[in-house]
Amino acid sequence: MTETTVTPERPLVVEEGESKVGFIGQNVPRKEDKRLVQGEGVFFDDVKRHEMGFVHFVRSPYAHARIKSVDVSKALELDGVYGTLTGDEVAILTDPFFELSTPPGAHIKDYALAVGRVRHVGDPVAAVVARTRELARDATELVEVEYEPLPHVLDGEESLKDEVVLHDDAGSNTVWSGVFDWGDFDAALEDADHVVRIERLHFDRFSSTPLECSGCLVEFNRGTGQWTIHGTHQMPGVGAIWMAPALRVGIDKLRFVSQDIGGGFGNKITLHPQYTACCLLARKLNRPVQWTEWRTDQHTANTHGNERTFLDVTVPVKADGTMLGFSVRAIDDCGAFPRYEPLGCIIWAQVTPGCYRWRNVRVDFTQVCTNKSPVAPNRGYSRMQHLWLTERIVDIVAGELGLDPIEVRKKNYVKHEEFPYETPNGCIYDSGDYARCLDIALDLIGYDSLEEKRRDAESRGKLFGIGIGSTLDSGTNNFGQSMILNPELQFSGNNEVATAKLDIFGEVVVTLGTVPQGQGHETTTAQVVADILGCTPDEINVRAGHDTYWNSNAGFSGTYASQFAVTGLGAVKGAADKLAGEMKQLAAAVFGCGPDDIELVESQARIKGNPEAALPFMALGAILNANNAGLPPELDVTLNVRYVYRPQFEKPDLERKYGNLTLTYATQIHACAVEIDPDTGVYEIVDYAAVDDCGNRIHPQIVEGQVHGATAQAIGAATHEIFTYDEEGNLLTPNFYDYHVPHALDMPPMKTGYIESTSPFTPLGAKGMGEGGGAGIHAVCAALQNALGRKGEGPIVWRSCNPYEGVWDLLRKPEDTRKLVSVETR
Amino acid sequence: MLLREVEYARPASVQEALRLLGSHEGARALAGGQTLINVMKARAASPDVLVDLADIGELRGIELGSDGTLTIGAMTTYTDIVDSAEARARPILGEVCNQIADVQVRNRGTVGGNVCSNDPTNHLPPLLVAVGATMTILGQDGERSVPAQEFFLGVYMTAAGPGELLTKLSVPPGKGDGFASVPIGRDGTCIVNVAASLDGGAPTLAIGCVDAVPVVLTPDSVAEDTVRAAVRGANLDPPSDVHASADYRRHLAEVLALRAVAQAAGRK
Amino acid sequence: MDAVSSRTITVEVNGEQYEREVEARRLLIHFIRDDLSLTGSHIGCDTGNCGACSVLIDGVLVKSCMMLAVQADGAKIETVEGLASDGELNGLQQAFSDHHALQCGYCTPGMLMSATALLRENGSPSEEEIRKGIQGNICRCTGYVNIVEAIKAAAQ
Repeated sequence: MTETTVTPERPLVVEEGESKVGFIGQNVPRKEDKRLVQGEGVFFDDVKRHEMGFVHFVRSPYAHARIKSVDVSKALELDGVYGTLTGDEVAILTDPFFELSTPPGAHIKDYALAVGRVRHVGDPVAAVVARTRELARDATELVEVEYEPLPHVLDGEESLKDEVVLHDDAGSNTVWSGVFDWGDFDAALEDADHVVRIERLHFDRFSSTPLECSGCLVEFNRGTGQWTIHGTHQMPGVGAIWMAPALRVGIDKLRFVSQDIGGGFGNKITLHPQYTACCLLARKLNRPVQWTEWRTDQHTANTHGNERTFLDVTVPVKADGTMLGFSVRAIDDCGAFPRYEPLGCIIWAQVTPGCYRWRNVRVDFTQVCTNKSPVAPNRGYSRMQHLWLTERIVDIVAGELGLDPIEVRKKNYVKHEEFPYETPNGCIYDSGDYARCLDIALDLIGYDSLEEKRRDAESRGKLFGIGIGSTLDSGTNNFGQSMILNPELQFSGNNEVATAKLDIFGEVVVTLGTVPQGQGHETTTAQVVADILGCTPDEINVRAGHDTYWNSNAGFSGTYASQFAVTGLGAVKGAADKLAGEMKQLAAAVFGCGPDDIELVESQARIKGNPEAALPFMALGAILNANNAGLPPELDVTLNVRYVYRPQFEKPDLERKYGNLTLTYATQIHACAVEIDPDTGVYEIVDYAAVDDCGNRIHPQIVEGQVHGATAQAIGAATHEIFTYDEEGNLLTPNFYDYHVPHALDMPPMKTGYIESTSPFTPLGAKGMGEGGGAGIHAVCAALQNALGRKGEGPIVWRSCNPYEGVWDLLRKPEDTRKLVSVETR
Repeated sequence: MLLREVEYARPASVQEALRLLGSHEGARALAGGQTLINVMKARAASPDVLVDLADIGELRGIELGSDGTLTIGAMTTYTDIVDSAEARARPILGEVCNQIADVQVRNRGTVGGNVCSNDPTNHLPPLLVAVGATMTILGQDGERSVPAQEFFLGVYMTAAGPGELLTKLSVPPGKGDGFASVPIGRDGTCIVNVAASLDGGAPTLAIGCVDAVPVVLTPDSVAEDTVRAAVRGANLDPPSDVHASADYRRHLAEVLALRAVAQAAGRK
Repeated sequence: MDAVSSRTITVEVNGEQYEREVEARRLLIHFIRDDLSLTGSHIGCDTGNCGACSVLIDGVLVKSCMMLAVQADGAKIETVEGLASDGELNGLQQAFSDHHALQCGYCTPGMLMSATALLRENGSPSEEEIRKGIQGNICRCTGYVNIVEAIKAAAQ
């Protein structure tokens, strides 16, 4: 294990520009740390209520079955059991959750508990509440459920046939399907010198498995009909949109509270079924109820990332290596219930051509249900799957035509001078310099000494390969993309909220609408506010977590989709600017000058050029809040502001499926070196470089931390992390024993570098970047391909996850995958 | 994650432990708990009574006899072995124990627990068979010694039956040992492992993860072809699971056997 | 003596004595979190793999999800809550913050206890030894990069 080299003290490369003054751009100490390193964080399971009951779900052992009867009577007899909930009750007390799709998907009936039928192993059928966790668990064993097993379907392509249909109300397993056709693919095909065809590629099912499982503690206030949910929901605005109509209440009856959340990565967005069950129980039993998901439940019955099969990939290429585009048939397996889907059917279109200048793209996209765990927007959501496709295309084309994958990339990359760059479907890539990032990655990984490394590896009997993974992290969604899928939907644009006030003692208090799970929102918020108000981050008190009651949230509030630096900090900047304006107005009124004569500096409002004439923040707060007689009547300030940031978006052209779908595009270019033991298929990542460009970096350490974490998750997904089912629909990797995630010794030495291509579209020139686009998966696949194949020969890496046996299979039966690829030369 | 109701006792002596184990039909000995507690959390097995051996001092400890024989108490932890100067009389023991899981597991997990649970993917069963260990079992009828090769009877089944206790195991001195494995991630669960020892003269190989108990082979020499032929001749029929197919395990057994033997030959 | 389904146990946690009646089946981590309301130690899995529950028992690093509370009777337990003194972070905690070795903070208490055990035994561990020392602690946020850096810094 060689030493890990972390980003050097001095940045490797920084865009020329003004030198930065202030806290933005600095590594200020994180506000979250003090409580978290002392174990004083408040995660939902840390919250306790007197006389609360513990919930345990009875879950289906079958992949697909009719529920003939549910008998909870024996469970109710157990001493210490407070009550139960069954699907029959749920069907009476609630309406099915809102579906996003068009028919037939629109007709799917999705409830808090299985009603009439179970559709995946782990599907919750009933819930028991008891005095202790152990008793609740014991009691579920006493619930008697009679099932009539049904045939099941576990494969997307198989599901298309509709021989086994999961949702009778829909009558088909197809959730959504459509064809996207931009440019002129047929003309491109005509124009090509070579046509490379890839019969099949498969992006495997996995998820980011946050360490904290999901859960909630729900209290019901009988007098007001209000539920308070202490939980882990990453996107409460949307959660409420699902839950309120289902519960037949107004949105304001659902209060979401969270302080600390132990990772989310998109897996805590579709918790509305379990939360609705807990709401019903809290109301029914008139006591707080607490549900803690177990690891096994999270893997079997929470959410997975989208599994996607790519068929008939066709790539027209010119002799000089210019690729003209591609066409593909994609089948997306969303598991038993769509929930947040079918949004995944359009979200990939944010990055239609990947990093490349391809103008002719045709995608035939179908999403189907199968009897597996439902999916949710797992980190990299839908773009990662598509970008993996584009990278496999580049590597396979390069390999088959005997071209250098580096040169092919540079030739086809969007060029620095072309930004802002409009893609074939109208998305605007804001800024970037892919070729430069690639050069940095190659330098970090010692690409020039590649041949020497290869010889050295071969002398030890190993196969050696280097691969590149280029990817984009598109952030700040235009939810109008949903209308492309379903014109009836009334969602478009985006928003985020922040409030800022100056308290009576001069304390600045900020609240956010976001739901952080470790991204350091309190800290970066304080940096932005401090720079605007002319004070230090320590003087900015950012309330920890999220609370509906703060009224600093809007429809899209939450933490997801790589957008905080844009939407969250955009809202923060707006609120801070507004507050600063009011502070200057107030100071001007007190001093008898104009607001433009006032500056905010050193935690004071003072007259420019006259430091003696100064009002400390405390004075401003006190005057307005407690000592405001004599202020001019026309002075309209409250020192308590709320700001809604709204990015500039248009509704897309639904006919052409065309429009700007995301505001920012961060770049990740990774390089990876692997050594394969040809006798066993066991391989090691021996070197790794990650180059990131997320525009202006508010807090470099936080950015780099996300890069490290995203890389680790991608490496896990590339090597061992996969949700595999047996023939009966049982998940074979339902825990961390069988589902192996990277531990400390599994990580390769990692070098990082960065550039900053300011975004022209955002309040701070920053871009969202947390998801990372799965670059590690693309890079590892590419490295394995490079090690295993030579021009036109050898196996094809066609899956995203390549465990040791998979590599061994590729080695010993290259013809099995070789036949997936063909080249037609004109 | 949550256990069924259970009764618990922590005896101070081996005799008391045997009495408790003998008087309750659903009683199990609790050693380090790194396997048993997890099994109980999953409710895959729920003994009625747990007899905690933690207070029984005579079950712990590593002694080095004058003839170089190591006597290891069943409650000796993996960390004890790794840290033990005496255990260096048979260096492979500490090296392999150091590959098991992580520090936390090594601090609690015991040699006795590892062999008595006899999960086919465990490290110590094949290792102890290869080095020719002997297990001492104490039962109602007294004490008896069982060679390692006869100790492992089936999946989760050993010669230490209900109401009995493995008290110690003894390992002859030696250095000509090898251990090769393919784990899932560093220090992870083994897909296949092979232990080899040359100290008895002819090579002894024990292949783990391919059958209910370690498969023992005694090829005539350390020559590659001979070892390979021995593995193939064993007609291994390994299980298929999510981590590996039968074919892959069969293949790994062969490759790792060669590597374990080469390692052993290099250290003899 | 006979086997019992519950008993009263006495434990010392971070220097304080506690006496509680507890079911034999109760896991030590649940006892610490629910019975003693020390919620700093966390639960991240159900098979003893993630290490979020790591504590020190009589100076030995263990995963408290693989011990019963009754097994800890008479023991001295150290949890994350015992690391700081009167709200003053110790050197290791400060190093974690300085080096951004935590993001969501969920694995952090277990990580700190593992690092504490490591540094007590080995005052200047190599990178490999550090990684080996935290191999039993899963983190999904950081990729371990900064955690290793923080422990290196704390060792100096």
